[in-house]
Amino acid sequence: MDYDFNVEQKMLKESARKFFSKEADSGYVREMALDEKGYSKKVWKKMAELGWTGMLIPEKYGGAEMSFLDMAVLIFEMGYACFPGPFFSTAVTSTIALLEGGDKNQKADLLPKINAGKHLISLAWLEKEGNFTASEITAKAESHGDTFVVSGTKLFVPDAQVADTLICALRTDDSPQTITGGISLFLIDTKSDGLTVETLKTIKSDKLCQVSLDQVVVPKKNLLGEVNQGWKILENVLLKAAVGKCAEMVGGGQKVLEMVVDYAKNRHQFGVPIGSFQAIQHHCANILTYVDTSTVLTYQAAWCISEGGAYAKEASMAKALTSDYCRKLQALGHQVMGGVGFIEEFDLQLYLRQAKAAELAFGNATFHRELVARQLDL
Amino acid sequence: MDFKFSKEEEEILQQVRDFIQRESTPELLAETHALERIYGGKLGREFIKKFAANGWLTPNWPLEYGGLNSSEMLTYMIKDEMTYAGIPHAFVGAHYAGATIMRYASEELKQEFLVPIARGEIEFCLGYSEPSAGSDLLALEMRAEDQGDCYLINGQKTFNTHAHVADYHWLAVRTNPDVPKHKGISMMIVDLETPGITIRPMTTIADSRTNEVYYDNVKVPKDRLVGEPNMGFLYLMEALDYERMFPYGHYRRLFENIVAYAKETEVDGRPLSKDPIIRQQLAQLATEMETAKLLYYQLAHILDIGKIPNYQSSMEKTFVSELSQKIAEVGMEILGQYGQLTKGSKWAPLAGEVEYNYRWTVVETIYGGSSEIQRNIIAQRGLGLPRQ
Repeated sequence: MDYDFNVEQKMLKESARKFFSKEADSGYVREMALDEKGYSKKVWKKMAELGWTGMLIPEKYGGAEMSFLDMAVLIFEMGYACFPGPFFSTAVTSTIALLEGGDKNQKADLLPKINAGKHLISLAWLEKEGNFTASEITAKAESHGDTFVVSGTKLFVPDAQVADTLICALRTDDSPQTITGGISLFLIDTKSDGLTVETLKTIKSDKLCQVSLDQVVVPKKNLLGEVNQGWKILENVLLKAAVGKCAEMVGGGQKVLEMVVDYAKNRHQFGVPIGSFQAIQHHCANILTYVDTSTVLTYQAAWCISEGGAYAKEASMAKALTSDYCRKLQALGHQVMGGVGFIEEFDLQLYLRQAKAAELAFGNATFHRELVARQLDL
Repeated sequence: MDFKFSKEEEEILQQVRDFIQRESTPELLAETHALERIYGGKLGREFIKKFAANGWLTPNWPLEYGGLNSSEMLTYMIKDEMTYAGIPHAFVGAHYAGATIMRYASEELKQEFLVPIARGEIEFCLGYSEPSAGSDLLALEMRAEDQGDCYLINGQKTFNTHAHVADYHWLAVRTNPDVPKHKGISMMIVDLETPGITIRPMTTIADSRTNEVYYDNVKVPKDRLVGEPNMGFLYLMEALDYERMFPYGHYRRLFENIVAYAKETEVDGRPLSKDPIIRQQLAQLATEMETAKLLYYQLAHILDIGKIPNYQSSMEKTFVSELSQKIAEVGMEILGQYGQLTKGSKWAPLAGEVEYNYRWTVVETIYGGSSEIQRNIIAQRGLGLPRQ
């Protein structure tokens, strides 16, 4: 066993830490929360130049072809910086979906553009119930000659307000015996007639959208993967993206730990630093434990994905534990920081928002514990 | 990063498994259980001497002292396998005293003790706590007076768990009362057969035995002082770092047995394992077990890259011992009325194992330093928060 990063990963971590502290401080985070687009094209362009938007993209499509573990290292730093924007939806979730299900033409068309930072793309899965399950998917795609005609409403779609393309999970067979067998994925141009986007107001002020599809016509060649075989792709995307969200949460957790411990050392009450009180020390010890345990479980899962073997159990364990622990450590952080912790101009509250959003993304702890139970043959 | 064992490590681990499978008997397991899995019982000694002949008791030790010169990783793997199997696995000599002897003791003491420890021929017992020195170990008062040709020792120790089956006492004593507390403590090796030593049993909530040990004008040869006089507190704190590495195999087995029970037992016409709440609880425990495993082997990794874990060992000990309580609690809940039945009782499921561990895991969170003390260490050493 080896718990350390390799040299390239250490360099990546260091340069990402520098990049975000320079290009995207907490002022940027607050600005983007109010910004309609939710990201800066200038920063995005620089990230593309660094090869980050194409980190998971194979070299033959111009990408950096790095491992998922490398990606987790980068996402950790984004979590640390509370970095907003469409990176996760484009370079993680959708890129994985394209790699899992895309045909040669689709990959050759989209991946180089994503790599170059010139194309944004997002996955539209959830609907009314808000669950990452197959029965959730009811929006329909009906076959009409060379096209499908699509109708329905997708919810909680990240960054649809800026996306060029959406990968929509749609029902192509609604016979009751094929709940998982009747789902297909489609690449849909967001400029299509009948497609409208409305941004929802959320705790993180990230851009989760409602996407309404009204008789949207989609060419057959835009089918991603085989017809009725979309669920298998979604399952893999779900688990990998869940691990990505873990990396974001533990990065944020690490930042909270540092802010809180720094405060405990410097804030004096009763004539001494509050960090000398045992009650505060135990809160801090628990925060460190939550961060360390979530981090190691997250990197193990990311490593399993990178190795190309089985990863389902490790991924769900990581998302279950990290979702709970990162929520709990936010609460402890607020206890240590007292009043200033909940004032808007201090950064702690930004991380509580980020942690909750990430906890809900791609299945919360309860959802993933059930997946773990299945992995244990319970 | 790499989260799997090497092929070579797996092969040796398999040999260890095969040996245990072949050589352990129900009588050995019963004796070991009754002794709270500490080393020193009659059958345990017979078994461990054969086991240790392979170098498996101290794999990380140099060849000359009876080890295999192996990685810490392999050492940790074997230790965990021993706890999983229920053979003796709490060793004071091999796991705590031995490391300090190797680092700090005279060549004579090394020659006398290390190989016998590695071969399982002798066992030690910890002599730290006193009635007025528990979490605050620095307050220990047992006095060792320099009499020129020997030390004269008087005082009382408590919670000395191996004392009634061990051969030697790994003893912390005060050799200089006139200096700051941490500068007047020394470590000694005392033959427990020495006249003037009285061992009195204390029975725990888990029916296991620990001891009070009284010293009444006990004479100890001067060459039994380990390392430098009055440097004992440093050695002791370092030995405690080793002690705080808790193998989790015992609880891995308990958890597996609870899972098997939940799958086999039907209530209201369906297996307990199909109940959504029980599924959540077991999945959470499985997740925390996986975490415990990663924390445990991380300690081995830190040692293998030439560093000494400080806050990480406290974190691992706290995490595993608190998890052990959760496993026992969930086990009790799943067993319902049957959970209260003790070993040997009619109808007792899983041979009363859950009931027993419900009591034993109380002990686990205290031995080796309570969870509260561990959190102080994590905060002060790990995060640099100030002492009051």
